[in-house]
Amino acid sequence: MTTNSPYLHVSYAETNRVLVEPYQRIVVAAIVAAVLCIPFVAGGYFLHLMNLCFIAVIGAVGINLLTGYCGQLSLGQASFMAIGAFTTAILSQRFGVPFFLAIPASCCAGAVVGFVVGLPALRFRGIYLAITTLAMHYAIIYVLTNYQAIVGPSASAGISVPAPSLGGFTLNSERGWFYVLLIVTALVVMFALNLSRTYIGRAWVAIRDRDIAAETSGINVPRYKLLAFTISAALAALAGSLGAYFTTVVTVEEYTLELAIVYLAMIIVGGMGSVIGSVLGAVFITLLPFGVARIFEAFPWQLGTTAFGVQQAAIGFAIIGFLLFEPDGLIEIYRRIATYFERWPFRYRELRAGGSR
Amino acid sequence: MSEPVSQEPLLDVRQLEVVYHDVATAVQGVSIEVAPGSIVAMIGTNGAGKTTTLRAVSGFLPAEDVAVTDGTISFGGQSLRSLLPHQISRLGVVLVPEREKLFQTLTVQENLDFSLTRTRQPIRDAVYDYFPRLAERRKQVAGYLSGGEKQMLAIGMALVCEPKLLLVDELSLGLAPIVTSEIMTILQAINRNLGLAMLIVEQNAAAALRVASFGYVMESGRVVFKGEAEKLLKHQDMREFYLGDRKAGSYRNVRQYARKRRWWG
Amino acid sequence: MELFVSILALGSIYALLAAGIVIIYKASRVVNFAHGELAIVGAYVFHSAGFLTGATLSAPSLLITIAISAIGSGLFGVFIYFSLMRRLLGRPTFVAAMVTIGLAIILKAGIVVIWQSRSVGIAIGRQALFNFAGGGRITWIDLVSILACFALFAALAGFFQYTRLGRQFRGAAENPLLAAQRQVNINLILALAWALAVFSATLAGVLFGSRSMLSPQSTIIGLSGLTAALVGGLDSLRGAAVGGVLVAAATYLTARLISPTLAEAVPFLILLVVMCWRPWGLFGTVEELNRV
Repeated sequence: MTTNSPYLHVSYAETNRVLVEPYQRIVVAAIVAAVLCIPFVAGGYFLHLMNLCFIAVIGAVGINLLTGYCGQLSLGQASFMAIGAFTTAILSQRFGVPFFLAIPASCCAGAVVGFVVGLPALRFRGIYLAITTLAMHYAIIYVLTNYQAIVGPSASAGISVPAPSLGGFTLNSERGWFYVLLIVTALVVMFALNLSRTYIGRAWVAIRDRDIAAETSGINVPRYKLLAFTISAALAALAGSLGAYFTTVVTVEEYTLELAIVYLAMIIVGGMGSVIGSVLGAVFITLLPFGVARIFEAFPWQLGTTAFGVQQAAIGFAIIGFLLFEPDGLIEIYRRIATYFERWPFRYRELRAGGSR
Repeated sequence: MSEPVSQEPLLDVRQLEVVYHDVATAVQGVSIEVAPGSIVAMIGTNGAGKTTTLRAVSGFLPAEDVAVTDGTISFGGQSLRSLLPHQISRLGVVLVPEREKLFQTLTVQENLDFSLTRTRQPIRDAVYDYFPRLAERRKQVAGYLSGGEKQMLAIGMALVCEPKLLLVDELSLGLAPIVTSEIMTILQAINRNLGLAMLIVEQNAAAALRVASFGYVMESGRVVFKGEAEKLLKHQDMREFYLGDRKAGSYRNVRQYARKRRWWG
Repeated sequence: MELFVSILALGSIYALLAAGIVIIYKASRVVNFAHGELAIVGAYVFHSAGFLTGATLSAPSLLITIAISAIGSGLFGVFIYFSLMRRLLGRPTFVAAMVTIGLAIILKAGIVVIWQSRSVGIAIGRQALFNFAGGGRITWIDLVSILACFALFAALAGFFQYTRLGRQFRGAAENPLLAAQRQVNINLILALAWALAVFSATLAGVLFGSRSMLSPQSTIIGLSGLTAALVGGLDSLRGAAVGGVLVAAATYLTARLISPTLAEAVPFLILLVVMCWRPWGLFGTVEELNRV
């Protein structure tokens, strides 16, 4: 017997269902169908933007698991991505490793580095943890900078990465990348959504909210903190690795502290502690510079070299704006609208058990 | 049931409603009056809404995303609802909070001197008279005092602010009964000597009603009973549910025992 | 001798930066990640003001430039407080720290937009005060740096320890809500903290711009300032001074004796060492770790 109620569940299968109402299934199916059709109607530029968004989503989901769910404020995102990118570059360019081995290897490298960076997390919380990850970021980038200077054709040229190929088929078109990234991103998002619903996700949320209480409830806090760092870094490395293949060149200069902050901005804007939020935030922040440039094109004055500065400033304003006025992010805006319609004409929303996001 | 009569109440709270985070109503329709120079006690168990009412009066609530959605709070005729905590404090309504009641990193002396101005020197010295234990520990960092001394210091700090109404939030928490009664006696002495009105929130009903002249009983966010302290101490329902007076020998029927509270009987 | 003075001069700059970070941290438990950017913006403003008023070392227009920068920086600090940080009272402090990161981004972008990422230098005071046989020299700026740092630290120490406002500062730093209830105007205290911090950052930036070239990339000194503050202890002014000198010494000696590129790595290496060995710094209180 199944009851289509969010409150009464009579079997485990029911509690595990994500899409409860029929309309939810229809909506999701429609979205999937629409997305699959995009490459046939959109131009190359749009597809390129979408591909950038996909890669950003993977990274954003990664850092959201660490900072949004587990509450470990980390500034090391860029260094994890750099590890993934460089591992991919070294393996594929120097050792000719095919992509289906190089990418998992990069994820493993990221996981290892994430584990190491996560060790200080067992000691610190909040700002001190952020500062420690900041120091680790600089250390990793310093090592990679020197490596690039030694190995690359010139100090700033970077390492070139051949496009991934399988058999006779090489992946170098926007459309092809779109489907590949779509599948990978969808898998990553589903992985994260499921992870957040399991005991691991709940342990993370418990640690985020009150780690001392979590510990006394029997949660092995060090284990879950390290797990969060490891998985998050692996996802970041995946994003870096895919980015390396996508842009076919890897330079350490693009993995700056600003990049880590941009990813933090993504989850701030999207909503920390929400996987869908990180998707929204990643898309928002990735498209923001282009949007800003478009807006300024409409104005008479030329930006010139200051265009970059304005785009950077836009991200800063987005961070501040959301933190001040909408700290729960875009997903909260969505939820407010959704619950308004759901509960109208009642004034308060009912307190739903679990508060699944 | 009688109410404090013949004078304008110093603090007049009417139909107060407080809502937490847009979701949970903590206090509903609460009306409290404090006559000048009197000690009023608010009694109730956990979650009754007493601390919330006190914090609403002292202006602490907006900082915690809790909103006063209805009712009026007036002190000496002036509305407190839209004022900031330091403005309310300057009017003479001073709160001794339940937690975080003093500056742990400052010494006892520095804590008491925190709100010191030239005119307040005498009251600061008087605090050392009321609480001799603090005088012994002037230079000690406040974080290392015992629970009772911390409470005394917190009250002393509030006194230095020259309050016209002192709000004391659950001073007996974490204190041994003998220390609680010592502090309550000192509060009574302060009330007599300075004519300082006090609103005391307490879970220890007996200790509070011993020093108070009037009392309110709160349950689930509402005032369910009020009256002069002597009447409350003698009232059957109060004796049973708040003062621990069980009728001897009636345990045989404990399982079916469900005497309804007859506040109005 | 010249080594000693150079280290002290560089240390003064780092100490001033650290002092600003410590003041804001003491007042509001917020770590200001925008401090390097504030310093460099202040330096650019000083440069432009000096340019506009035609200031040289001896002209009275120098005083006008100094006055404009000093007052302007204080006002800018107050502005930052009232427009940004005030709305974050009561929220977790790492939220405020992230807002300062956003502020840092905007300031750095602002430098790029307004000054077109040119490299500029503040030319006042680069003349040598004293020349050594081996080619080293002490400039006016070195002396001014050390004296300014000394003066500011002495003033701040006296303020916090002995004045009533300073006591209220420390109390408000620990428990703002309680301080508000004890009739202290929290907004005044925090605005004052930000004004002092931005002033000291501007001072540090101006001193820095007088010995090196300024560019948007110079904002990296914020990292050295943060390291110095952490080495000394985020809640200790004394620690800021000591930390500044230590970081400067490590950086300078590494640059001179080992290699200049490794010297760039020194701040974060020190950061790692501090975090592993003694996170609350040399003079900080251990309890602070649990408060953030």
